[in-house]
Amino acid sequence: MPMASLSRWTISYFAAALAFLLAAEALAVAGLGYPAAGLAEPATLVFVHLVAIGWLSLAMAGALLQFVPVLVSRPLAFPRLALPALFALILGLILLCAGFATLAGWIEASLDLQPLGAAFLLCGFSLLGLMLVVTLLSARPIALFARFVLTGLACLAITALSGAAFATILSGHGDWLGTVALLPDGLPFHALLGFGGWLGLIAVGVSYRLFIMFMMAPEPPARRVRPVLLFASLGLGLAFAGLAAPFAGIEPGTVWIAAALAVLILAGAFYGRDILALYRARRRKALEINMLASIPAFGALGLGLALLPIAIVAHAGDGLIAALVLLIAFGWLGGLTLAQLVKIVSFVTWLETYAPRLGRGPAPRVGDLVAMPRTGWWFLLYYGGVVLGVAALAIAAPTGFRLAMALCLAGTAGIVTELVGIRRLSQIKAAERPPAHERPRLLAARAEERRPVHVETGSIAHPRA
Amino acid sequence: MSVHLERLVEIALRDVLDPEIGRSVVDLGLIYAIAATPDGSVAITMTTTTRGCPLTGFLKEAVAMAAGGVEGVTAVAVTLTWEPAWEPAMIAAE
Repeated sequence: MPMASLSRWTISYFAAALAFLLAAEALAVAGLGYPAAGLAEPATLVFVHLVAIGWLSLAMAGALLQFVPVLVSRPLAFPRLALPALFALILGLILLCAGFATLAGWIEASLDLQPLGAAFLLCGFSLLGLMLVVTLLSARPIALFARFVLTGLACLAITALSGAAFATILSGHGDWLGTVALLPDGLPFHALLGFGGWLGLIAVGVSYRLFIMFMMAPEPPARRVRPVLLFASLGLGLAFAGLAAPFAGIEPGTVWIAAALAVLILAGAFYGRDILALYRARRRKALEINMLASIPAFGALGLGLALLPIAIVAHAGDGLIAALVLLIAFGWLGGLTLAQLVKIVSFVTWLETYAPRLGRGPAPRVGDLVAMPRTGWWFLLYYGGVVLGVAALAIAAPTGFRLAMALCLAGTAGIVTELVGIRRLSQIKAAERPPAHERPRLLAARAEERRPVHVETGSIAHPRA
Repeated sequence: MSVHLERLVEIALRDVLDPEIGRSVVDLGLIYAIAATPDGSVAITMTTTTRGCPLTGFLKEAVAMAAGGVEGVTAVAVTLTWEPAWEPAMIAAE
């Protein structure tokens, strides 16, 4: 019987992701990037890619390496590729950002760092995609949630390839495109496929499965969930068409972007209805911090997704559009990811430390590893910074934005401290901690040291419960 | 005798707690069947909340250990099944 297990490098992905988030927030506090620079200027691109690739993509990758095998009940394919993929992604991002920094005039280096970075990123994402796709396809029939992940991975492939093309253009090697003008018109579609497809759609699909487990809620029937995938795929398909349109000699305008977003709103509406139903129907009445701290994230998604197409069609200007993108990236995706990291890290840590003691005596619960209510205060600080940041961008107040990012930075630093505390079992009485040599390592799980599990299967007709 | 033993095993399994919410595997409805023979052999059929749960092996061992500790039990066999799949409605009311 194939079984899922503990992903050894998930914690390492999370650590790298959080380091990049702190770096991005520190850059914003220092006043580098938008609004001091334009939305498509190199300084802003550094900030955007630190957030999109460094923070959100690495966190998503780490979570998928742990949960895809759990959710399809199959071992991760090619697990040895997880660490090389992480190194390739980190190196690729650093090179890409160094290329942007060169373009911005911050450092003197070759512009070729951009395509070189893009090549490493393509390599890292390809390794990641290989592990996940083979794992997902090893379980037949392909479950609905797996289709969300597969569609999201397709969006990742298009985003990474288009990003690599942009990198070659920005480094002065865009001759191979001939008269096809991918920039700047392709940027919104590249961003939409990255944030909406790779990060957003997978977050949506995985959240259905994880929230059922975390809240012990009944699984919604597939017929309720399918419209979410259908409309999201349609919207992302439009985004892909917009990206490819210049190859057919078509110039996609703002209406095209707004149309893609409008279809995504439909997907978001069906998703919102389902998430609300999960919260309401949960058997686990007391919400843990991960589910409480996810509520503002869903509010950010609803507001951001509803207003963004209106702002685009109304030509509301860079400030308002940047504010709404910040609301989606930091409010929804960032908030949701931070909230679920607390849960995943505490669960993985418990699994490493106390699972072998199950049934052999008293052991703390997973939630006992988290310092509450202190962790909740850090989330309040983080979300307060997001709200202030959105308002500051909307009214074009650069100093207010830097102050807001300082709040986000403080909140993030606090959450990181709590995550370190979870790994160090700091909330557990000293007498109940295992000996030092058996405690979790800070940056990697002791996956290889777990005992093998032997499982028999069978079936019965009448359950007791 | 075997019905009494099944009852004792069920009581013992109430000490195997789910690490998430702190309720026993019995209260969560994870134990589908307990069957004891007159010679003290016990067969337990159980499930997990999700099929690929990383805790599966540990839960199975914990259940086997708790049942094996009951006086009169001579052998324990724990079988995992996901048919029917567990659902929240199987949780016993508090």
